Amino acid sequence: MDRHHRRRRPARLTGVAVVAVVGLGLAACGPEVTGGDDTGDAGTLRAPDAEQPAGEITIWDRSGDLFEVFEAVIDDFNAVYPDITVNHVAVDIDARLQNTLITGADVPDGVFLDDAKVGGYAEYLWDLSDVLAPYLDDIAPQKVEVNSVDGGIYGVPFDFTPGLLFYNAAALDAAGVDVSAIETYDDLLDAARAYKAAKPESGPIHLERSEFLGQLQLEMYAGQLGTSLADADGELRLDSPAFEQVLTFLDTVRAEELGTRAEYLSPTDLAELENGNQVFYPWAIWFSFAPQQLLTDTAGQWRAMQLPAWEPGGARSGAMGGSSFVVPKDGENAELAWLFYEFLMFDEAGYTAVWGPNDVYPQGLNTSIPSYQPAADPSAPLFEPVEALGGQDLWAVATEAGAQIPGGTPIPSWWDGAVDYLGTDLQRMLDGDLTPSDVMTQATESIQTNLIDRQ
Amino acid sequence: MTGTTAAMKQAQRPAADAAPVGRRRRRRRHLGSHVFLMLLLAALLAPVVWALLSAFKPANDIVRSPLTFDPSAVTFDNYAAMFQDVPLGQSFVNTTVVLVFKGAITMFFAPLAAYAFAKYRFVGQNLIFGAVLVTLMMPTIVLIVPLLLQMKSLGWVDTYQALILPGSVDAFAIFWMRQVIAAVPDELLDAARVDGSGEFGTFLRVVVPVIRPGLAGLAVLTIMNIYNDFVWPVVVASSERMATLQVMLSTLAQNITGNRIGADYATVTAELLAASSVALVPLLVLFIVLQRHFINGILAGSVKG
Amino acid sequence: MTTVSAAHHSVARRRRTRTTGLRRRSAPYLFVLPFVAVFLVFSVYPLIFTARLSFTNWRGTGAAQWVGWDNYTYLLTSSAFWGSLGNSGVLWLLIVPIQLVVAIVVAVLLSSATLKLRGLYRVGFIVPFVTPLVAVAQIWVVLFDQEYGAVNALLGLAGLPDVGWLTTSAWAKPTLALLFLWKTTGFVVIIVLSGLQSIDADLYEAAELDGASKSRQLLSITVPLLRRTVMFAVVLQTLAVFQMFAEPFVLTQGGPYNSTTTAGYHLYNHITRADLGTGAANSFLLVFLVMGLSLFFVRLLRAKD
Repeated sequence: MDRHHRRRRPARLTGVAVVAVVGLGLAACGPEVTGGDDTGDAGTLRAPDAEQPAGEITIWDRSGDLFEVFEAVIDDFNAVYPDITVNHVAVDIDARLQNTLITGADVPDGVFLDDAKVGGYAEYLWDLSDVLAPYLDDIAPQKVEVNSVDGGIYGVPFDFTPGLLFYNAAALDAAGVDVSAIETYDDLLDAARAYKAAKPESGPIHLERSEFLGQLQLEMYAGQLGTSLADADGELRLDSPAFEQVLTFLDTVRAEELGTRAEYLSPTDLAELENGNQVFYPWAIWFSFAPQQLLTDTAGQWRAMQLPAWEPGGARSGAMGGSSFVVPKDGENAELAWLFYEFLMFDEAGYTAVWGPNDVYPQGLNTSIPSYQPAADPSAPLFEPVEALGGQDLWAVATEAGAQIPGGTPIPSWWDGAVDYLGTDLQRMLDGDLTPSDVMTQATESIQTNLIDRQ
Repeated sequence: MTGTTAAMKQAQRPAADAAPVGRRRRRRRHLGSHVFLMLLLAALLAPVVWALLSAFKPANDIVRSPLTFDPSAVTFDNYAAMFQDVPLGQSFVNTTVVLVFKGAITMFFAPLAAYAFAKYRFVGQNLIFGAVLVTLMMPTIVLIVPLLLQMKSLGWVDTYQALILPGSVDAFAIFWMRQVIAAVPDELLDAARVDGSGEFGTFLRVVVPVIRPGLAGLAVLTIMNIYNDFVWPVVVASSERMATLQVMLSTLAQNITGNRIGADYATVTAELLAASSVALVPLLVLFIVLQRHFINGILAGSVKG
Repeated sequence: MTTVSAAHHSVARRRRTRTTGLRRRSAPYLFVLPFVAVFLVFSVYPLIFTARLSFTNWRGTGAAQWVGWDNYTYLLTSSAFWGSLGNSGVLWLLIVPIQLVVAIVVAVLLSSATLKLRGLYRVGFIVPFVTPLVAVAQIWVVLFDQEYGAVNALLGLAGLPDVGWLTTSAWAKPTLALLFLWKTTGFVVIIVLSGLQSIDADLYEAAELDGASKSRQLLSITVPLLRRTVMFAVVLQTLAVFQMFAEPFVLTQGGPYNSTTTAGYHLYNHITRADLGTGAANSFLLVFLVMGLSLFFVRLLRAKD
């Protein structure tokens, strides 16, 4: 074998050569460190002025029911804009969007995105404040704020997802608990105590165990008080009386054993909902699909009402979750994508096709309501009464609740990252290991050092 | 001359029992072995059987009563819905193309390079091999942005090249084959050379036959790795036309992974299980065939008790 | 006559050795060339890009800011970073030793030619590897639910208390480890299997000639030679455990209380938060750590030779 006469000198030479090559490579590879062609400012989208705009747009959506709902609207859209071809694709958005935007490779013209994620991508997106201007006054303020960064608006608001109090009417009735008396969270605690007195093994109020959803729900509660994790300048405001009130309520539910602690729709959660142990579920309107599909034993017994208020006369709802449509700057036909979303959200034919009865949902899409208020008229329902809620007019309940949701609740770009700190500390509190004020101070400090200061 | 042939014959001759077991005790041992292996097999297969069976249950039942199976309620709805929603056929074609080309490149060039690393000394050897080890230890996820930038400048986004070439001569394959080839005795190679066999000829006619068990193992793992890979394909195969099976599955699964429990939670779960079952079958068949013709013939053939 | 022909002969021979010598010296370069070409373009470039990135603050758009060692010092002083390493360390202890022992036992059993049903077992061990993880995660959630899961139901029958498999810091790691074991043990079995079977027959033959008994052969040939394979498997699985990402992603999202945030998952978090510089720095720290661990294991296992 050659190892018998290995030669040493060339090896050293290559060493030198390699160092040189690596040095060169280092200079060539990697992101540009100085200068750069940052075009971040000149990014306001204008509507196309062509009489009959033409071209192809690529629209990314999450797979599943909404994809099919939007797919069905394309025909209606083409009736108005026959020369725009919509290439509608189901994509794993979380896995792909970031890389696509960073590298600018095959960037779509429009993307369906969680509200909480819009801020993080703002630099890559068109500022839509110009094109949205005619509609702004009619869009729920909360939805405009979650899409706003530094005065720009980076998403076309899609659904509005007001928090509601879902309750098992039959079980509460049987226990003699009067739900109509619930107007504040103190009333809710009293009702829960009464139910627990009638059914000692129960834990009437849902306490979320998922760190992510727990934090999302916390923001719903806080949203009723017109506050959120951070203000429009990105300053943390977790350590505040509003959050203390919310956390203290949750801590009371825990301390008095008035809650069922389970992850949203996990096996435990489903079973406790079906057996009547868990009868109050303060959640976004999208919980409505559970009685419709999963809770077959108690379907028909469930109802929805507005959330209790924190003070008598306070707002009876807050938003939880929700999505919007964003238009990347690198998309080829961004202005045509805007036309698509404009049609979808602000044209009666568009929003009726989305929320009204369709092939996917013969009774209409009842897991959200439109954020465009002319479409969300309590007296002009788009979706039909819900059988699994005993034929209740969920549309009226939700639109009336939605109308009360205060503004002033923007979502910071690091919201998802905060789950590791706030989401986790919240669970520790529900374990009984932290007090509400511990949660506020600890999470504030961690979020500040690990997320805000690292921006 | 005689030296080489003898050495080669020896090398090709069955290895001695790798698990020498006294003949007297073999029978009794095998009973224990079967019990142990069967238990293990049951544990390994149970979740798969659950997935296969669940795909035939009504969607809501999968979520509501996951551990029961009611033969009278068997339904094909999930499959029907899945085939309607998911362009499974095209993704099969794409996966096959990637599997064949990427697999072939890996199976040829990785052992060849590994042979050079194991049995030669050359300038830059340690440096290159060190770099191989670093890439092996580097989590793929951080390399995605630079790789995608590269694909963009090559104009390769959403092409077969982009799915096939990056990682085609995989660091793991080289690392492993170097290990395997290092165990081939040098005398065999020297004997072949004395007989005038060229360098490549020696590799092909002496090394390859000796390392066949290793190659068979590499083939299995390469197939599985390519088949399972989704981090890179999800990013680079941006259209449905180029999507591989795993890309399809991850697109489908996004509504139930993480905290995404959407209104179609139950139906998506059902479709995902149906799609997973369908995706599993061709690979199982492939392995059973390989098992017959390949693993059995080579792996097991080299061992006689 | 004879001298002439002998001289002629030796000249020809010298010429031949010279050309074969040249061929031999150039051979390794030709052998590694295809690999190196692919490697330089698709691995070294992204690697250097990432190395440079690790010294910058880059969120994907515009120019990156050079921040020197800032990302590294941030990580090295971050409790979350050390926590993720700690989690991976515990998972390593829960996974690698068990996996190795099981894989060796299974491989030794499977390599016995007289064992019936070998084909079934071998395919069986491959099945988990090709079953999509998202599908499997569904059954894990169902099996390990605290109140209504099958596992706790069985424990209840045995009179044991409920365990918060997925809801407590202490138990979430074993539950995750179990998923990882389920998914990857087949991989290690294949590696050990081919390690067992590529043991050179010559060695057994020589030992036979020297009159060594079968058990002596096991101790003096199989075990020492398997040590290389074990070393290799330990290094690979150490890598895999520290890079582990998909399993916690589908099962626990790193929770509860970040107890299943592995080193690989922590890294992913930086990247999804568009903190690409910190992500890059994190991956290099991980490479150094894993490389250090690998060297340690290599030393440890080699020392016993």
